[in-house]
Amino acid sequence: MTAVANGNNSGCGAIVAEEAIDDDLSTAELEDISAEGSGRSIGRRIVRIVLPFLVIAALWETASFFTKPYLFPGLESVAKSFWTILTTWDLLSQGLVTWARLLVAVSISLLVGIPIGLAMGLNLDIDEFLRPIVKFIMGVPALNWVIIVIIWFSNTELRIGFVLVVLCTPVVIYCIYDGVRGVDRKLTDMVLSFGASPGQHVRLLMWPYVKASAFTAAKINVGNAVRTVIVAELVGAPLGIGKELDLAKNVFDMSTVLAWTLFLVLMALIMAHGIEFVERRTLRWRGESQRGH
Amino acid sequence: MTNSAQSRGNAERANKLVVERARKRFRQANGAAVTAIADLSFSVDVGEYVAIVGPTGAGKSVLLDCLLGLKRLDSGKIRIDGSPVDTFAREKKGHITRIFQEDRLLPWLSATDNAAFGLQIQGVPEQERRDRAAKWLDAVGLSGFKNALPGELSGGMRQRVNIARAFAPKPELILLDEAFSALDDVTASRLRQDFKTLAQTQETTFLIVTHSIDEAIFLANRILVFGAPAHVMAEIPVPSHAWQDRALSDQIKEQVRTLIAAGARPH
Repeated sequence: MTAVANGNNSGCGAIVAEEAIDDDLSTAELEDISAEGSGRSIGRRIVRIVLPFLVIAALWETASFFTKPYLFPGLESVAKSFWTILTTWDLLSQGLVTWARLLVAVSISLLVGIPIGLAMGLNLDIDEFLRPIVKFIMGVPALNWVIIVIIWFSNTELRIGFVLVVLCTPVVIYCIYDGVRGVDRKLTDMVLSFGASPGQHVRLLMWPYVKASAFTAAKINVGNAVRTVIVAELVGAPLGIGKELDLAKNVFDMSTVLAWTLFLVLMALIMAHGIEFVERRTLRWRGESQRGH
Repeated sequence: MTNSAQSRGNAERANKLVVERARKRFRQANGAAVTAIADLSFSVDVGEYVAIVGPTGAGKSVLLDCLLGLKRLDSGKIRIDGSPVDTFAREKKGHITRIFQEDRLLPWLSATDNAAFGLQIQGVPEQERRDRAAKWLDAVGLSGFKNALPGELSGGMRQRVNIARAFAPKPELILLDEAFSALDDVTASRLRQDFKTLAQTQETTFLIVTHSIDEAIFLANRILVFGAPAHVMAEIPVPSHAWQDRALSDQIKEQVRTLIAAGARPH
C-alpha cells in the first residue's frame, strides 16, 4: 500500500494515501483495544460505530413528528418501503439492473485501464502522450458526460455504460501506473539479472504488484460508480434505481427515496467487502510480508 | 583464423571470464561525469574462486551489472567462455547468477517457487523446476520450509533461499554481491561455511565481491584488490589453508588493508 502511495501525486496516489492513514488509525485502535481488554472494548467499539447512526435516527424520528411526511417520513415508513423493495420482485429487479450495470462498468474499466496503466508505467513515451489525455478526461464532470452521451448515443445502456466506464477507467489507469512505478527497483534488477524477457518481467514481477493496485482501483470505483450511476439513470433510463427514484420524486415519496438510498449504500458496501474478501485471499503474501519484516 | 587469433582463442577458452580494458562512466544529476570503472583488466579461470575487495564506491557492483549484461561498458570487452557478455547472457539464460546482499525474494512466491525462479526464466517445465528447487532447498537446510512465504522466514533463511535460487539453474558463473554482509555475525559465519561446502560440490566459477577480507580469505583462491574507480591494484594468491593459519591470514589482511587505504577515492 505504501509503495503504491509513494508512486506520485496522481489521483489514486492521493486516495490510497488517505487509505494508508485510515490503516494507521485502525492499527492504533486495535492496539488500544488490546490494552483495554477484549470483551469491554469490543462492546465499546460497537457502540462507537452504532451511536452516530442512532443519534441521526433519533433526530430524524423527532423531526418526523413535527414536519410533513414528504420532508421527514418516520423511520417505520422508511423501513416498510425498504422491506417492500426487498420482497417485491418488480422493485428488487430494478435494483439488480443497477447492480449489474455497476459490475459490468467496473469490470470493463479494469479491462481497459490495466493495459493502459501498465503501458504508461513501463514506457515514458506512452506516459507522456497519454497523461494529458487521462488528466483531461478526469477533469470532465459526470453530468457533462451524461449530456454528451445523450447527444452521442440513442441506446440507454450504452449511455449509462459509457458514462460509468469513462469515469472509472482513469482511476484504474492511475492506480496501475502507481503500482508499476512503485515496484522495488532491486526486484526488477533481480528479475533482469536472471535474463528475464520483457514479457517475463511483466508477467512474473509487474503483474502481482498490478493485481494489488487493481483491487484498490476496483474498491474506489465501486464508490465512484454508485455515485454516478443514478445521475446517468435519471436521464431517461427505463430500468434501474434511477428510474424508481425519479418516480418517487414525482409523487414526493420520501420514504421510498430513502429506502432506495439505503439499498444503494448497502449494495456498495457488499461489493466493496466482496472485493476485499477476494483481495485478502489473492494477496495473502502482503499480510505475511508485513509480519515478516 | 590467424595463428595469433587462434592462440588468443585457446588462451581465452582456459578462462571463464576475461575483462579487458573496461571503462564505464556515469553522469550525475548535477551533470558531472563520474568514472565507475577505469581501464579494468583481469581474468578468472574455470572453477576458480576469485574475491574482489576494495573501498566503497570502487565500482564493484557496476562491474557485476556489466557482467550480467544489465549495463554496457563505454569501452573495453567482457568475454565469458570467449563470447561477448551480451551474447552469452542472451543465449545462455541463467548461466550466470547473482547472490544479492539483500535476499530480493518475491514476497508472493513460496520458498520453492523463489528457488525455482531462474529455472522458470529458463523455461524449465514446472514439475522439473519444482523438483530441482526442492533439492536445493534441502541442500541449504530448508527442507521443512518449502511452502513458506518469504515473510514467514527469518533473514538467514531468506538468504539461504537466495543461495538456492542462484545454484538451481546450474550456472557456470556465480557472482556473490556482499552476499553475507546483511546478516548478523553468527548467521553469516554459519551460512558462509554452508555455502563453501555446497560450492565445492559444484563445477562452478565464483566471483565474490565483499568488504570482508576474512570472507575473501575464507572463500577465495585469489583476491583482486580494487582501487577507486575500479581497477586492479594488486592480485594476492590465497593458499587454501590460509583461513586456518592465523599468521598467514593476518599477513594477507594487512597487505589488503594497506592497498585499500591507498586506493580509496577521496571523499
